[in-house]
Amino acid sequence: MQLLRWAFALTDENGCSGRSDAALASVTSLPNLDERALVAEAQAGNRAAFEELVRRFDRDVLRLALNLMKRPEDARDVYQEAFLKVYRNLHRFRFECSFYTWLYRIVTNVCLDHLRRRQARPEDQAPELSPNHRDEGISDFFERQREHRPTLDPERSMMGQEIKARIAHAMERLSPRERVVFEMKHYQGLKLRAIGDALGTTEETVKNSLFRATRKLRNELGGLR
Amino acid sequence: MSPLERKMSCKDIAPLLVFYVCEEVSGEERARIEMHLASCQACSEQLAEEKGFHSTLLSAPQSADELDGSGILLSQCRSELEEALDDLSAPPLEEHWRPFGWLRRWMALRPVWSGALLVLVGGLAGAQLVPWLQQSSSNTGQALNVRARQPLTADQLQNMVVSGLSVSPSPGSDSPTVQLQLSAEQPMVLTGRADDSNVRQVLTYVVENSERFDAGVRLDCLDALKAAVRDQQVRVALLNAARKDQNPAVRMKALEALRETAGEDDVRQVLLDALEHDGNPGVRVEAVNLLVGSLDNRPPDTDTAREAPEPPALAVVPPSRTSDEGDASFEHVVKVLQELQRRDPNPYVRLRSAAALRQIGPREMQ
Repeated sequence: MQLLRWAFALTDENGCSGRSDAALASVTSLPNLDERALVAEAQAGNRAAFEELVRRFDRDVLRLALNLMKRPEDARDVYQEAFLKVYRNLHRFRFECSFYTWLYRIVTNVCLDHLRRRQARPEDQAPELSPNHRDEGISDFFERQREHRPTLDPERSMMGQEIKARIAHAMERLSPRERVVFEMKHYQGLKLRAIGDALGTTEETVKNSLFRATRKLRNELGGLR
Repeated sequence: MSPLERKMSCKDIAPLLVFYVCEEVSGEERARIEMHLASCQACSEQLAEEKGFHSTLLSAPQSADELDGSGILLSQCRSELEEALDDLSAPPLEEHWRPFGWLRRWMALRPVWSGALLVLVGGLAGAQLVPWLQQSSSNTGQALNVRARQPLTADQLQNMVVSGLSVSPSPGSDSPTVQLQLSAEQPMVLTGRADDSNVRQVLTYVVENSERFDAGVRLDCLDALKAAVRDQQVRVALLNAARKDQNPAVRMKALEALRETAGEDDVRQVLLDALEHDGNPGVRVEAVNLLVGSLDNRPPDTDTAREAPEPPALAVVPPSRTSDEGDASFEHVVKVLQELQRRDPNPYVRLRSAAALRQIGPREMQ
């Protein structure tokens, strides 16, 4: 499908494909371009370059969104909203930081907005999915398929689910910002400085947020080892 | 003593252990923490606890693994994003503005509801519109009642149409009450005495502009103006009407309206002009009557004229009461009457002239 799209993209308005050679070379070499060149191409209006950028980072973005939002539909909204914002505002990116940092700034802001909205109006939100309710609530074919993966170890999975449920419950006590910092530090593996850049704040502030988050979690989780 | 050699207390170490575990301390801090831990059992135990907690958190299954371990959600997200980008990249459709487009679409999809809605709207519109139209048409005909306070402007007079006029006697006054129904800029009813300046203005305008108004209206106006004949403006209008109005009944009425002032020069001249030039015998007879009345200082008796036989040529002498000017005028009147008696094509006019000559001072012609 993507190849087809690129083929269409190579055809100009008159239905000719006169620039196909140069464009094809450009398209085929896109995955080999470094981040800066790719961003520059996307800024010049190359849709394929933008899609390549998306592919390089969207797995991490969705992962962050899923871990923070805990609901696939919310994570999907965050994904869509964040990348559309990137697409609309890409011309404003001036390479003053890495594209990755700029992207995460947008993603974390979108996540924070969603989390704050959820905090402000909890009654408007669907309950987060707990593992025990997955079979009952979701009839989606793909969702059901995933539950039947043979690689899952039932015993390990059960213990893990219990710990995960307790952690998820404890995470609910954190503020949106603390939650984002904790997630980015521990599950995304970002350095505090990068988190500060993404959140548009100092490393010291992020450090404080992480410390508070850890304290709260330890208090909530008690003897969890 | 170097900073490295400075010993940290347990109180200093505790907050740093969180960052030590996740490798977010500087090299210097790391060295000092490790130096302290080497000699402090309590802090070492706390560190072990911190590490255990940290590894537990890290080893716990994450929502992302649980919710999208197969990557299907990621594929869905990519697909949706591509569609959204297609929408953003597509050139805007040049859709012409279509009034009530939403309504058309709605109606096209729901023909039964649309039919019912149209019937309902039509019924409501009919029920509301018909009375409204009736009311608005009656409003158009409803006249503004003006109490003859403000004079009409020249424009109003020029555009004025007299749709009705009634004259009724006023109790305790010679001047009758006049009610004029006018259509100028808007319909109005003008009510007032005939000598009221505003009413008078309209009446004289009608009389003076014979070509614009119906003869019946002019006659009614003359009737109303009779009481105001002493007014100069009215008199001029009456004199003009007596001379120039194309309708003989109006001319006759104008002369009749001038009866009270028939003895005055300008009126007498009009009467003489009528005798000499007016083509209508009725007007000439009326002029004869008024002349005789003015000269005789008594109302003319028309009946005697009818009874009187064809008189011979008479010689008249002016009454003693006339002055020199009056004598000349009197003689002129007699001459005209004699001329009329001899030559008027109408026998009744000739008869009436002879009677008039006898009446004003018969003298046998030598």
